[in-house]
Amino acid sequence: MSEPNASETTATELPGLARGEQAIIEVRDVAKWYGDIVAVSDMSFGIGAGVTGLLGPNGAGKSTLLNMISGLLAPSAGSVRVLGKPVRGNPAIYRQIGLASEQEHVYGSLQGREFVRLNAILQGVPDADGATERVIRVVGMESAANRRVGGYSKGMRQRIKVAAALVHEPQVLLLDEPLNGTDPVQRASLIDLMRRLGDEGKTVVVSSHVLSEVERFARNVLVVVNGKLAAAGDYRTIRERMDQRDHIIRIRCSDPRRLASSLVADRITRSVRFQGQEGLIAETDDVRRFGLLAPEIARREQIRIFELQATDESLASVFSYLVNS
Amino acid sequence: MDALWRLLPVTMLTVRQFSGGKTARLVLLLSCFPVLFAAIFVIRPWSGDPAEYLADLFRELIVPTLLPIVVLLPATAALGNELEDGTLPYLLMKPVSRARIVLGKYLAIILVTIPALIVGVGLTTVVVSRVPGAEGLWPIFVAMAGAAAVGALLLGALFLLVSLLVPRALLAGMIYVFAWESLLGRFLPGVQAISSREYTLRVFEGLLDGDSAATVAAISTIGVVILVCLVLAIWRLSRMQID
Repeated sequence: MSEPNASETTATELPGLARGEQAIIEVRDVAKWYGDIVAVSDMSFGIGAGVTGLLGPNGAGKSTLLNMISGLLAPSAGSVRVLGKPVRGNPAIYRQIGLASEQEHVYGSLQGREFVRLNAILQGVPDADGATERVIRVVGMESAANRRVGGYSKGMRQRIKVAAALVHEPQVLLLDEPLNGTDPVQRASLIDLMRRLGDEGKTVVVSSHVLSEVERFARNVLVVVNGKLAAAGDYRTIRERMDQRDHIIRIRCSDPRRLASSLVADRITRSVRFQGQEGLIAETDDVRRFGLLAPEIARREQIRIFELQATDESLASVFSYLVNS
Repeated sequence: MDALWRLLPVTMLTVRQFSGGKTARLVLLLSCFPVLFAAIFVIRPWSGDPAEYLADLFRELIVPTLLPIVVLLPATAALGNELEDGTLPYLLMKPVSRARIVLGKYLAIILVTIPALIVGVGLTTVVVSRVPGAEGLWPIFVAMAGAAAVGALLLGALFLLVSLLVPRALLAGMIYVFAWESLLGRFLPGVQAISSREYTLRVFEGLLDGDSAATVAAISTIGVVILVCLVLAIWRLSRMQID
């Protein structure tokens, strides 16, 4: 895993890139502030081909970052380059970039097909009709393509936005929370599409605030917390690092004292304290093994477990751990 | 229609937004509002001459108040609504120059307002012509249509720029219409010199009197203002930050 916020870096040394990997997107020393409020602070990273997850809690600065990568926002400091060129003030680069923003609104008076076709025409796609039909099929919107976008569900709007972003076959695809509002079938289909695009060598950046969701499609992740880059690199490495921290587990059971004495006998339990009549708070450095150990002890000792829950599994605490470490 | 979408996608999109929402209907309705006054005049004609009444209606109601409002609605909505509801990136993130976007929007404003204004003054003229003895209305109609079109071109560019400069462009435009054009522009000579009302009326009077020098002078001034507004709008759009 690379160290974030490294300065004086070459393209291949940027956080987020494997050794020798070519950066398709380069973000160098980027900051964005609005008066006294700092939205993004001194961020440097590179993104290569494949799917990269931009992970962070709501309000972390993911959308601001995506807007700077897409040239809609000018950084207050630093530079952003896509395919080696600056994006802002360079409309020609948009032939290579597609963005499906988080914004709810689309042109409600247009039909889904018309909306995608409009994007194809504006992109200068030679066969706008053919390209439109192709991407509508790709996102599975054939049956609703003649309906007005204004009447679409949130999931349908997400898919039609992805179709519009894909219609000119861009090299770089930026998707801001594309899975929001989608049902499980639509989600699976969009994830499959992202993976496929990544396998084809496209650079796909997908922002999400759902940790478990990202591992389904992203090879690489950039973790953004409070406008700072908390971690960058291979998802599994980061995930392992997150799992290795101390976890606090709350247990409610029929006999907390007996369960506690058995739990502390195992070295993965670092400490145990009681909470009320039935409650127990355990601290462990291996949450996965602990999840197997506690029920096993309970079964053996004939203790009934009413509740077993990791209290610090929220995204905020995971992200805060990454920042602090 | 298909060829038009390919040729003028921004304009066609904007016209579609206007016709899909309330904007186009409101523009037509407001443009036809003077017909009501014409109908009242027909029912109970005062001692005045119909031709004079028609010209005064244009001078006192259409130019200072209705024309700016009719143009204000689509001009502030064209880019302002896209900014507000977050659809502007669909246009900005395309390999299309900012000039093409601004001019496409401007053309849409013109396409929606000028025909509606001409229909409005046309119907008003037809209704006034029902008054017995009404004569010489055709030249007034031509002058009204010409001046309204020029006024719409001017105000369209002005309000399009305003929508990129201030967040509540419609409100700012309303204040401008009622405070500047309808009130101050009438009574303060200094304000008159820099009001759209004054130059639109110069075009009207020039066309009515056949004074081509006065007409050309007014149109030239308006042309320069339009050019400045559009250049500033393009400049502003290219520097705009979308969050």
